Amino acid sequence: MDLTLNVNGLPRQFSAEPSELLVERLRDGLGLTGTKVGCDTGQCGSCVVRLDGSSVKSCLILTAAAAGSEVTTIEGVSGTPDGPLTGLQEALRQEHGTQCGFCTPGMVMALGEFVDRSAATGGEDAPTEPEIREWLTGNLCRCTGYHSVVRGVQRACAAQATARQEG
Amino acid sequence: MTAPTGEASVLGAPLDSREDPQLLRGEATYIADIELPGTAHMAILGSEVAHARILSIQTKAAEQMPGVLKVATAADFTDVMPLPCIWIPGGVESHFPPHPYGLPGARPVLTGDTVRHVGDAIAVVVAETPRQAAAALAAITVDYEPLPVVTRADQALAEGAPQLHEAVPGNLNAYWTCGDKERTDAAIAAAEVTVELDLVNQRTINSPIEPRGAVGDYHAATGEYTLYASTQGPHNHRFLLSALVLGIPFNKLRVIAPTVGGSFGTKGYLYPDMALVLLLSKALGRPVKWVDTRTGLMNSTVQGRDHRQHVTLAGTRDGRITAVRCTSHANLGAYPSTIGPGVATALMGRSISGMYQIDAAFCEVYAAFTNTVPLGAQRGSGRAEAAFLMERLVDRYAAEIGMDPAEVRRRNLVPAEKFPYDNGLGWTYDSGNYRENFDKALELAGYADMPARKAEARTRGKRLGVGLATYVAICGVGPSTRMSQEGMLGGTWESANIRVHPTGEVTVTVGSASTGQSHGTVFAQVAAAELGIDPANVQVLEGDTLKAPYGQGTYGSRSYSMAAPAVALTARKIRSKLVRAGAVFLGIPEEKVVYAGGGVHEDGNPENAKTFAELAMAMWYGWGLPPEIEPALDETTHFDPPDFNYPFGSHVAVVEIDELTGETEVVSYTAVDDAGNIGNPKIVLGQIEGSILHGLGQALMEAAEYDTDGRLITADLTGYALPRAADAPFFTLGKTVTPSPHNPLGAKGAGEIATVPPAAAVVNAVVDALSDLGVQHIDMPVTPEKVWRVLAGRTAGTGGTGGTAGTGAAAGTGTEGGPR
Repeated sequence: MDLTLNVNGLPRQFSAEPSELLVERLRDGLGLTGTKVGCDTGQCGSCVVRLDGSSVKSCLILTAAAAGSEVTTIEGVSGTPDGPLTGLQEALRQEHGTQCGFCTPGMVMALGEFVDRSAATGGEDAPTEPEIREWLTGNLCRCTGYHSVVRGVQRACAAQATARQEG
Repeated sequence: MTAPTGEASVLGAPLDSREDPQLLRGEATYIADIELPGTAHMAILGSEVAHARILSIQTKAAEQMPGVLKVATAADFTDVMPLPCIWIPGGVESHFPPHPYGLPGARPVLTGDTVRHVGDAIAVVVAETPRQAAAALAAITVDYEPLPVVTRADQALAEGAPQLHEAVPGNLNAYWTCGDKERTDAAIAAAEVTVELDLVNQRTINSPIEPRGAVGDYHAATGEYTLYASTQGPHNHRFLLSALVLGIPFNKLRVIAPTVGGSFGTKGYLYPDMALVLLLSKALGRPVKWVDTRTGLMNSTVQGRDHRQHVTLAGTRDGRITAVRCTSHANLGAYPSTIGPGVATALMGRSISGMYQIDAAFCEVYAAFTNTVPLGAQRGSGRAEAAFLMERLVDRYAAEIGMDPAEVRRRNLVPAEKFPYDNGLGWTYDSGNYRENFDKALELAGYADMPARKAEARTRGKRLGVGLATYVAICGVGPSTRMSQEGMLGGTWESANIRVHPTGEVTVTVGSASTGQSHGTVFAQVAAAELGIDPANVQVLEGDTLKAPYGQGTYGSRSYSMAAPAVALTARKIRSKLVRAGAVFLGIPEEKVVYAGGGVHEDGNPENAKTFAELAMAMWYGWGLPPEIEPALDETTHFDPPDFNYPFGSHVAVVEIDELTGETEVVSYTAVDDAGNIGNPKIVLGQIEGSILHGLGQALMEAAEYDTDGRLITADLTGYALPRAADAPFFTLGKTVTPSPHNPLGAKGAGEIATVPPAAAVVNAVVDALSDLGVQHIDMPVTPEKVWRVLAGRTAGTGGTGGTAGTGAAAGTGTEGGPR
């Protein structure tokens, strides 16, 4: 079937089998290999992308079901390939919220939505540690124990709140 | 000239990882991201049954499926040798399936006659796309004649058990011992107090988030093979695959490790797929790529732990441990993995006495083959199993004599003045101040406040338990000769090369290969500190056997205590050469040359100087150098330490058990680890935190469970539980520092050491919380169901099991033995 997806701001037209998964289209069809496949069962979260703003596991959705949607992958997060790191990425860098990095793109995508939501509340209430951990439960990491990731999110939200106060 | 002259701020500084930006952008290339032009895709058919003779394999239908290029079975690879095992238990007779070179042999690349575990590789399909290859697998028909199945080591050794290998009578790979049996038996017989436990250290799955993969690329014009693989040891794989499996010259195989998505031990092993992609690339004249699925990984990548132990501790009434003894049945799985038999014996057995000074110790291991996935290393391997048994015993003993478990530990720690300390089991601990470390952990954890916290928890319907665990973790594998005595068939030294380019930039190339440890950052720090230059000026390369000096790889927390010392020693060679050459360039005697800030100047006359960049260019030109000084700056070191190093630490787990649900929550966790001098505390912090959570995973939720037919029923992440972000609070971490004398950096292993004690700490805490019910032990994983049964038994008036102090193991669960 012929489909259109808007991927990282660009319309992409292609023909796909009905059973094709979105992650297959992104990785194999469009060469966007930043999105990872870790578990095949929707457990690990390495394949998370943003679909019309919401973070979803791209191994659990058919390409056809995403037709016409706006998809953002890790490659689209910084705007341009050599664009600056986002506040979240920068905070994760400062807290060394990575190790092997395989789960990292999925985490950046999932946590990006969390940080956006936090900003949308006006940053009045900094998210609590349990709230961050709860949001992160859809993403598995075997290296870090999540601590540095949680600290990274705390740092990103705090930086956002500070920027808002100063702005 | 031995002390570093570089900036003290560079080494030991928490510099940001230079690897992070590309990881955060999703730009790093993992094995699945490699797409060579013309690539064909391979899928592997694993056995559906755990033990059977293969009567026939029908591949015709698969060959006619769309896109299929080739279907191959064992019959296609009769001239390929089996994958060898290179770490056998030292000093004892071992039985293995044969390898033609007289090595301890292992599995064939494809199994043709008898399958021995679910997932055993039977056939492969190569097709144009991964989907086509996977679809064609379903069209292959295998006729099996089922054979009886055994999945437990103790049962495999019993009379009448199913036999796995003709060359291995009774399935016994080896009976291995360490320590002094007579002395230990005598001490136990004469003891005032003895305690015993039966322990199941359950089989677990390392579960790196990236599954394994391999790409083979054969070039007919040169006869050269290139293997891209998710490997921890590209050189080692090159050595083993070329000479011992493919039978091709060493210099015809190049191995490249791309970015590797976690390993924790599993990606240092030889697997059939590595050979198959190379063989099929040659057969088809195209690159051949294979990427595993999660279920495939769980049914074929080495698994960890898996000991059944009977353990005994003897002591005095006043808290002095006099002997420890362990009898263990270790489950090697269906075939000897590359180093599995060594892990199951020496790494575990020689470690059982931990941080304690014990007069008599003995460990015996029966290593057996069963119809399960081959056993290998797992984060903290061997040492975690040892710490678990010892720390469980110490708590049992403390309960028996009615003494605070902290006090029992304190009385038995090896005193600081006893180092180097021979533990009587084969290890000689290099350095340490165990008392300082232990007391620091108790203080940080607020150990003195625990009675009040227990009382407070009761008011909330929670049972609070406190668990202590200490450990010594042999690291820095290691001294090659010493490892040969342990049965390692191969060197275990490590290497580094440093090139100073004419423009003054520096490239460090190492033989190890990162699986997420930020080698590029840390090795640059080491070289920069030694040379007195900016680490931003130092590039680090690794993971490509064509470019890197020989090395053995990343495993056993050895990179910073093996490869980094090689970097440091190489930098010192460069520095030394620059001092000699500097004397020529400055026109002064060598003893007047001062090396500082990367350059040289005349002592007392800083005006007469050359910068690092000037020296680099001058050495490139080579003009005016005397014959005894070669031009250019290019040095290599192969570092083989005099002995291992021995990091150690003390952990305190506090858990709360819900009276109603039996759920165990880790409410605080304190760890004080000693890894000697540390290169980058930010990197090490992340490794410590991840390691602890890995250990908590074994304690609370992880178990590879096989049914009686030998099927792994936890073969994906819906069935196998991994800790998630909400499964632990932030940890309280501290450190002590006792440098190792066995390498020039004073480093000890760090990466996995904090995985060693958490399982013991948590189970000790759970038993503490349930001790008033008579519970003496509870098998891992400590699931809510198991605990609930204990609690329910109490309310039903049946009481906890155990309570016969002094002898006999008592599983609080009342089950026959854990999670199987």
